Formats: sequence, C-alpha cells, structure tokens
Amino acid sequence: MSDTQILSDKQTLTIARLINIAALFALLGVLAGSLDLQFGAGELPCPLCLVQRSAMIGLAVGPAMNLLWGMKARHYALSILAALVGGAGSARQILLHIATPGDPGFGPAVLGFHLYTWAFITFVIAVAGCAVLLMWNRPFDLGDRGVLGQRHWHRSLTLFITIWGLLWLLADLLVIGISVIPQCGLGMCPDDPPPGADLGDILGWALVLGLGVVAAVIAYFVERRMSDTSQDNERDPITQ
Amino acid sequence: MLSMFVLWLIVFAGIARKWKWTPGLAVLTLVWTLVILRLHMTDPIPLNF
Repeated sequence: MSDTQILSDKQTLTIARLINIAALFALLGVLAGSLDLQFGAGELPCPLCLVQRSAMIGLAVGPAMNLLWGMKARHYALSILAALVGGAGSARQILLHIATPGDPGFGPAVLGFHLYTWAFITFVIAVAGCAVLLMWNRPFDLGDRGVLGQRHWHRSLTLFITIWGLLWLLADLLVIGISVIPQCGLGMCPDDPPPGADLGDILGWALVLGLGVVAAVIAYFVERRMSDTSQDNERDPITQ
Repeated sequence: MLSMFVLWLIVFAGIARKWKWTPGLAVLTLVWTLVILRLHMTDPIPLNF
C-alpha cells in the first residue's frame, strides 16, 4: 500500500465485493416484489414485463461474475448493456400508457408509480452505479480471482453470501421460467394476460421468501463442502 | 419468451463453471431479449405528442 492510498488492497477488495453483494441482493428484492405480485395478487406479467424481468436478471450477471471470477471492468459493461435493454423495454411500456389518453396503466401502482416506471428508475440507477464503479480503478488492478481464489478470515462468509445470492437468483429464474410455460407455452405471450391464481399477500411473500430460505440452507452445505475440499487440497502436498 | 430464461439459466451455469464463452452468451441473450421486445412493438407510439 502506498502512502497516498487510504485503503489497503484487502480493504479495497472487501468494499468492492460488498457493493457487488448489495447490488445482487437489491436485484433479488426487485424480483421478489414482482413474484409476490404474480403469485400473491394474481397479476400475471405482460410480455413487456417479462422482457424487463429478463433484463433485470441480466443486471445480476455483472455482480455474479465480479464475485466469482474477480473484479473486471467488462463485467460492469455487461450490466450496463442489460440495463439499456431493460430501460428500452420499460420506456416503451411507459410511453404506451402515456400515449393513450385516459389509460390508467398496467397493474397496480406502488408508492405512486407503476412497476414498469420503478423498473426504468432501477435501470437508470444501475447504469449510473456501474459508471461510478468503473471510475474506481483500484479493484481492477489487484489481480482478483474471485471469492474462491482468496484466503482470508471472512472468506467463508463472503462465499456463503455469494452462493446464497446466486442460488436464490437461480430459484427465482426457475420459478419465472416454469410459470411462463402455462401462460405462454413455448411462443410469445398474449398482450393482455388474464388474472392468475391469487394465493394472497401472506402466502405470496411466504413463497418468495421461502425460496430464499431454501437457497440459504443449500448454500450453507455447498460452502461447507467447498471449504472442506479447499482444506484437503492445502494438506495434500501434490496440489501445493 | 421462455427461451430468454432458458438462455439465462445457461449463462448462470457458465458463470458457476467459469466457461469462457459465458460473457458472449450473456450478450447474445440480451440481443435475443431485444429481438423479443421488438416483436412486441406492434402498437405505434406517436412521438410528436
């Protein structure tokens, strides 16, 4: 660490990873909200909503790669591209409802805005956030190989949270994918979907958060197994 | 539309397995998402309002 640097290399990497973990869980929060609306309130997603969900999942690619592969500028670039695609979808939906006089908008409003407006705000914040993080060069210069390639005291915790976030995202992705089949089949979805099954708000959130709990339990065992394998490799002189 | 999510599943499998072509597939999935968005742009929006 040079005299002019405020943070050590370890501190820099820890902060960069925390930011990426926070971004991953923020995206999980957005997806959880949309899934609760789908299963809790019976609001099936429209085709443009599915496009935005797809882009929202794409946003998570950057943080996921940064955490597992190491900090790279091009990982943020992937998230920016996903935000542009999602922004195009949400802007299209906002304009559709603005252009039709007297149109109340699609779906319920949350805190005064429809979900596609919130999605647009999220995509704009994502672009701005990635741009700010791209201005911070140091995490890219440290030769980071991701949470699996480092040995430090909080490795287990970082690894567990990363695996948890990714498994939760995978569970959301599976639920979204499977729920698309009865609604749309293998082709395009209808423009105006009929109301779906309504589990109620409590059961809807229980389903969404239950996915997170199951993901956390699996992540715990996966992290234990990976740590054990890593310790075995350290003891084995051949792999040194 | 299911294809978008199947492609994302492969992308995340690639991230977990550290497959080199994963970033390329992620870009391809985004392009495919854009194609699906374009296919759904059936109503004209007057941009002179």
